[in-house]
Amino acid sequence: MVEQKETEKRLREEKKPESVFGKFKSIQSTMMVSFSLLMIVAVLIFLLIALSYTNGTIYENTINYTSQIIRQVNYDIDAYMDYMENISSVVAKSGDVARYLFEEEQTDTEYREERERILSQFQTIMESRGDIYNIAVVAENGKSIINGGEEELTEYIDIRTLAWYQEAMASTKGIAISSSHVQNAIKSCYKWVITLSRTLINNQNGEKEGIFFVDLNYSAISDLCNRNNIGNKGYVFILDEEGNVVYHPKQQLMYGGLLTENISEIMECDSDYLLTGEGRESKIYTLSKSEKTGWTVVGAVYSAELLKNNKQAQILYLLVAAGLLLGTLIVSNRLSRVITRPIRQLRDSMSTVEEGEFDKAGIAVTMQNEIGSLTRSFNVMIERIHLLVEQNRYEQEQKRKSELRALQAQINPHFLYNTLDSIIWMSEAGQNEEVVVMTSALARLFRQSISNDQEQVFVEQEIEYVRSYLTIQKMRYQDKLEYSLEVDPAIFHVMIVKFTLQPLVENAIYHGIKWKENKGNLTIRGYKDQGKAVLVVEDDGVGMDEETQKHIFEEKAEKKVEGRLSNGVGIFNVQKRLQLYYGPEYGISYQSKPGEGTRAVVKIPLPERLGGNV
Amino acid sequence: MSVGEEGMKDWWSKNRKKGILLTGIALAAVLALVVFLRTEMVREQVFHLIFISKTMDPENGFWTSLIDGAELGAKEFGAEIQVAGETSEENIEGQIAKIRESIGKQPDAILVAPCDYAETSEVLQEVVDHGIRLILLDSVIDRDIAESTVSTDNYLAGQELGKYTRTLLKEEPVIGIVAHVKGTSTAMERENGIRDGLGTFEKEIREVVFCGSSYEKAYHLTVELLEKYPDMNVLIGTNEYSAVGAARAVRDLGLAGKVTMVGFDNSVEQIQLLEEGIFQAIIIQKPFNMGYLGVEQAIRSLTGKKVEKNVDSGCKLITKENLYEEENQRLLYPFSGQQ
Repeated sequence: MVEQKETEKRLREEKKPESVFGKFKSIQSTMMVSFSLLMIVAVLIFLLIALSYTNGTIYENTINYTSQIIRQVNYDIDAYMDYMENISSVVAKSGDVARYLFEEEQTDTEYREERERILSQFQTIMESRGDIYNIAVVAENGKSIINGGEEELTEYIDIRTLAWYQEAMASTKGIAISSSHVQNAIKSCYKWVITLSRTLINNQNGEKEGIFFVDLNYSAISDLCNRNNIGNKGYVFILDEEGNVVYHPKQQLMYGGLLTENISEIMECDSDYLLTGEGRESKIYTLSKSEKTGWTVVGAVYSAELLKNNKQAQILYLLVAAGLLLGTLIVSNRLSRVITRPIRQLRDSMSTVEEGEFDKAGIAVTMQNEIGSLTRSFNVMIERIHLLVEQNRYEQEQKRKSELRALQAQINPHFLYNTLDSIIWMSEAGQNEEVVVMTSALARLFRQSISNDQEQVFVEQEIEYVRSYLTIQKMRYQDKLEYSLEVDPAIFHVMIVKFTLQPLVENAIYHGIKWKENKGNLTIRGYKDQGKAVLVVEDDGVGMDEETQKHIFEEKAEKKVEGRLSNGVGIFNVQKRLQLYYGPEYGISYQSKPGEGTRAVVKIPLPERLGGNV
Repeated sequence: MSVGEEGMKDWWSKNRKKGILLTGIALAAVLALVVFLRTEMVREQVFHLIFISKTMDPENGFWTSLIDGAELGAKEFGAEIQVAGETSEENIEGQIAKIRESIGKQPDAILVAPCDYAETSEVLQEVVDHGIRLILLDSVIDRDIAESTVSTDNYLAGQELGKYTRTLLKEEPVIGIVAHVKGTSTAMERENGIRDGLGTFEKEIREVVFCGSSYEKAYHLTVELLEKYPDMNVLIGTNEYSAVGAARAVRDLGLAGKVTMVGFDNSVEQIQLLEEGIFQAIIIQKPFNMGYLGVEQAIRSLTGKKVEKNVDSGCKLITKENLYEEENQRLLYPFSGQQ
């Protein structure tokens, strides 16, 4: 028994899991967690790729888009300057201008008429264009016509020292377009302008001796730059060849030093776009340089703004990812449950088998896979085990029965011999009545012992058997033995293993009372106690010393006791059978003191209907 | 029996797991949305600012430029700004009334260019007491209650002008100062700066007159001053009104070139007078920057960023020689309004 438990314990002991998967309580959660983890990783990778791809695409698209716009703006500005050049060439090539400025031998009337015609031409131009502040022709000889004729050049500055004048003079084409500057040349005019200047040639000597210029305000350029939206915050600005700002939507802030653009980086940049700045101030510059004006048109877009749109995409991605994950979790949950169902069935069935219930253990084979064949094998296996167990049980039963039969057959031949001897003596002495009693008791005894082959009998039957036995023994021992039977009828119908009491009584007589000098008393009692049925065989014989008590339940105990005869049915056998039937908490216990007597107590289960706790 | 029971248990534990997961995901989604919306909302918050100028005089280049700066600043920072003020710098009562009126409008911040060093303090205290952020522009008051003050360092500007004037002094200099409004911090600081800049010649200052920020008054005071001190050969104007008024008087009296003239600020007329040679130098402030930086400080204060207690918007000495330099042209002529 103990050994079997040890084995069981060893089998149930768990070894440390060899992999992470071993730590889970069920295959289903293992599968679910692994599926989920895999999916999370997959979704994250997808998310990263998608996001960076979108980022990249957004940047690329923005750069493409702004590049197109910037090129268009550049083209428009070139066209605008072309247009202004055309106007300038009309004025510069007009005979009136040449004559008025350079012809010295003319009458005042001719001068006045030429002046009138030039002024009216200026007026027409000024009226048709809102973007011209000043329009003027100036000759080195001091003659000039400015706007409506009222304005004059300032006396504090020599116009020939001004950059835009010199530039036009130096130009092979005779045309120059200035950067942004304040027009200081005209008296009391302090406007910021862009000047388009064109040299005038004195036809008499072919020298460049005068200049025509128009001062453009920023309305047209600002229109061109702001016509196209590049994002909510994006804007377009223009730099000249030296990197000075020609136009910027926040030019005043630039001039005040309150705003800066990364101009040096732009000027050094070779490609047509440029990323600059950090964090919220990070910008994308898209560049386009004009061959005509030498200006660089720059489109600036805030990265943060692009990413703001991207943010919505990100949220969408995240929601999709979350949805996917949720879906996966649900599906993997279902899937793992379905996949592992046969395994769980197998496990449940195995625990049923563990409890010894083979009948319910069979499982229907529903799958064609490994689990299916496992189930099939399992079914075959438990069937065979079941068969073996049944066989074993049957064999054990047979064995016990034959053992019992052997016991039954083992009624001490000495006892029989002695009893028969007694009968002979009694009949010789003419004690007929006694002979009848003894003979009938002996007959009853034998009948009872072989009457049935049940392993258990009622307590009542067992008592009757003992009574028959004691009747004989009383007649043999006469005055040496006195006995009483006090059994509560309530336990008469409790089942008890056959031949439990008789060996105890026999022992009490042969090992207790027989060796006593005077008369011995034997008491057999039966009663209910604490949910058990208790039978007590008590004698006031010689008792046992501790050494004997210690060995009383050993198989060969009786045989070791020197000088005592054994009937072959040891207490060991009785005890073994009792415990086999009723469990370890039942059986025989002995109390004994040398010289005072011995008490054997038999505890057997009491059926529930009689108040038992079984 | 046992199979069924276990099935139930399984079902429960699974559903609880699923429930936790679901709730977790839902929570995360809601959180993300909330964060997203919050940042959107923060971005969309528009602050209301009111700027009370010393004067709304449209002819005054300094104040129009400062207002431009403030308005552009407000646009740049996505705030709304209202500008109010009296037509005269001397109307202190009027300005106090305007400030009080502004408090009633419950703006997020009030920017003020106080007309007086002491008299506006009471009402500005009220501004602060109403939980409105106060930013001072151009001038200061006798209490330290503003979140930030954005101004020219008037003492340094005066000192620079004084030092330059010293290099122009002839033998036996006789100096007169035409100041603007008595009691304003700017007038006091500039005068002190000029005195320190002049150094030992400070004692040659015969008189300081106050024109109350009026061209006419400055003109008449200058004429009187020149009559009173016929040998006066240096005149210093402490703001646009004083400098222009004095210069006009000098020009009209035919004393151009004989009286050395320097002054503060840069109206078109002042630049012309500089070109003409009536002024030898002007020290210009950066009113546009002042307005812009004032708004910036207000917004910084409202958005919980670090605010600088004193911001120097800077100044620059302009003479006939450096007048046409690109950098100075940018400071002298406002670009705004030309697009």
